[in-house]
Amino acid sequence: MPTETITNRIAIHGIEMEVLRSGAGAPVLFLHGFQPAPPRARFLELLGRRLQLIAPSHPGFGGTPRPKDFENVYDLLHLYTQLIEALGQPRLSLIGSSFGGWLAAELALRMPSRIERLVLVDALGIKVSDRETPDILDIFNTHPDKVRAATWHDPRHAPDYDAMEDAELIALHRSREALSLYGWHPYMHQPRLAWWLPAIKAPTLVLWGESDGIVKPSYGEAMARLIPGARFARIAAAGHHPEIEQPDAFADHVIGFLAR
Amino acid sequence: MDAWWQCEIPYPFVDKAITDAADSVRASLPNRLCDPKVAADLFHEVLDEFALCDELGMNVLCIEHHAGINSLIGSNPMITGILARQMRNVRVLSLGTLISLRPDPVRVAEEYATADCLLRGRFEIGFVKSGGTEIASSNMQPVNNEERFWEAIDLIKKTLTSHDGPFSWEGKHYTHRHVNIWPGPYQLPHPRMWAATGDPRSAAEVGRRGMTHVLVLRGPEGTKKAYEAHRAARREAGLPKVTTDNFAYAAMVYVGETEEEGIEGGTKLLWFLNTSLKSAPQYNKFLPGAAPPQAAPGLYRTKPRAAAGLALTDAEKGVAPASQNAQKLMGLTAQEAMQQGILFAGTPDSVHRQIMEFYDKVGGFGHLCLIGRSGYMTHEESKKGIRLFSKEVLPRLREVAPVEVG
Repeated sequence: MPTETITNRIAIHGIEMEVLRSGAGAPVLFLHGFQPAPPRARFLELLGRRLQLIAPSHPGFGGTPRPKDFENVYDLLHLYTQLIEALGQPRLSLIGSSFGGWLAAELALRMPSRIERLVLVDALGIKVSDRETPDILDIFNTHPDKVRAATWHDPRHAPDYDAMEDAELIALHRSREALSLYGWHPYMHQPRLAWWLPAIKAPTLVLWGESDGIVKPSYGEAMARLIPGARFARIAAAGHHPEIEQPDAFADHVIGFLAR
Repeated sequence: MDAWWQCEIPYPFVDKAITDAADSVRASLPNRLCDPKVAADLFHEVLDEFALCDELGMNVLCIEHHAGINSLIGSNPMITGILARQMRNVRVLSLGTLISLRPDPVRVAEEYATADCLLRGRFEIGFVKSGGTEIASSNMQPVNNEERFWEAIDLIKKTLTSHDGPFSWEGKHYTHRHVNIWPGPYQLPHPRMWAATGDPRSAAEVGRRGMTHVLVLRGPEGTKKAYEAHRAARREAGLPKVTTDNFAYAAMVYVGETEEEGIEGGTKLLWFLNTSLKSAPQYNKFLPGAAPPQAAPGLYRTKPRAAAGLALTDAEKGVAPASQNAQKLMGLTAQEAMQQGILFAGTPDSVHRQIMEFYDKVGGFGHLCLIGRSGYMTHEESKKGIRLFSKEVLPRLREVAPVEVG
């Protein structure tokens, strides 16, 4: 029988956070990237078979409101620190996808005694190349067709705006606003994070879509090299979202690493 | 009524095949397509045209736009500085340094105080919200652009009106712990302030602040609604009525000796609409903050659905960004532009009549801002238009005295 993904709410510091939950077992907090995980995504169900998955929407994304002036990563890190405390688990693991990978790496540094394991998926957050070479495609300043091509291995996985309901498109646009506040400047990274990554204590798996054009696998390899003992693995036939394009391969990697 | 002449100093000399193929003629077009020798000629020609305005008694204004064929004035303070020294008679309006895109408003206040001193009090300060392609060029966050706009105005005003030593500012967007400019402004408490905006929410704020409210190429309906929002906000706040002097309208204007010559000149100005507004979707409809989330269904869908979301063409509801207004303006003919009140062209009599018809439609205004040279209009044609307007139209506009409007 497939595991059920349910949506509920957790109030953290007055913010009614929308949270997807799936499965039972070892607790895992999933921090999403440019958009929240779709509630019917297969990877949620697959992970829920072996893990207790908790997937909140960041403020401004999905159904989570964004309080006035809540607009930077500083706010998000305090929020997730509070959320992790509120979940009441002595230890849990983190999966951070894309922008959420940046948050996950920061949290692993801030709460070393609470974070069991860390999975970074096509994660952002550090500066790797020289100052004239952007590491992360500027999704705000680049033509939407190019962003789409860079995001997906198979563009058929891209959301079909014509098929989406008004409420979904409105949520998508709200998410972009929130994302642009959190990640505009410096663009999608914290200049000092690369210096701190070697202090991460949690065993770490760095997963990357082989065709990711938003942030290339070589960036993920550099990230993995900075984190002591981190393993790096590519997922074939996937772009920036291997969890969407190759949910089975993705779940195999994650469960193999977390559900032991 | 006063008149203010301006030229954005466009650079039209880029092969049409290139501009047709480019997804944007602003922000991303390589500057190798702009010959600095030609740019130098354009700067000098237009500065000479400003000088001609000064000689003929017509006020001048200077705008700012970045990185596009529509304008070479990326540095408003530089051109304002030149005008501050060279204009010996008329008033100068900076409309303006794009303050929400500048990291330090105190520096802008310093530049403006300097300009006001150079002009011995003939200076006026205009604020423009900016957005779209300018965001890309400035690197500034777009969603809270409007918050920065008002905070920057507050800080500039405080800077210009503080005379008792350093003060400290720790706001949301700007912190400056030691503000103390020398000199302060020549005019006390500060030069008159203008703001260019069309949406009802910021129009109301312009009204409450008592700033001169300028609408750019909005046509009679949008302009009237913005002026009304301005006045309604004052009524609701219990503030005194204002006169038409608080309102301004910017349109393309060309006066010829004959109707044909005037309209031919006006047609050349339309280059601004037909060629220089083209910008890529990431700089307008998809730019975060440019349109409210409720407008998303109309923005993202390629095939419209019946009754899907808000109609984004409705600028007057306050949901359409300036870029949407821009899209409506592309592809107009001179006749259409004249009918819509964004171009006044023809003989002096005809132009005067068109201006006054517009004046009546919107409930009056005290300042006409002339977009006086654009596209391929030559220096000689521009000077001829300035002379005819100044001599034949401006004296009649001056007879229109401010009246109280509420």
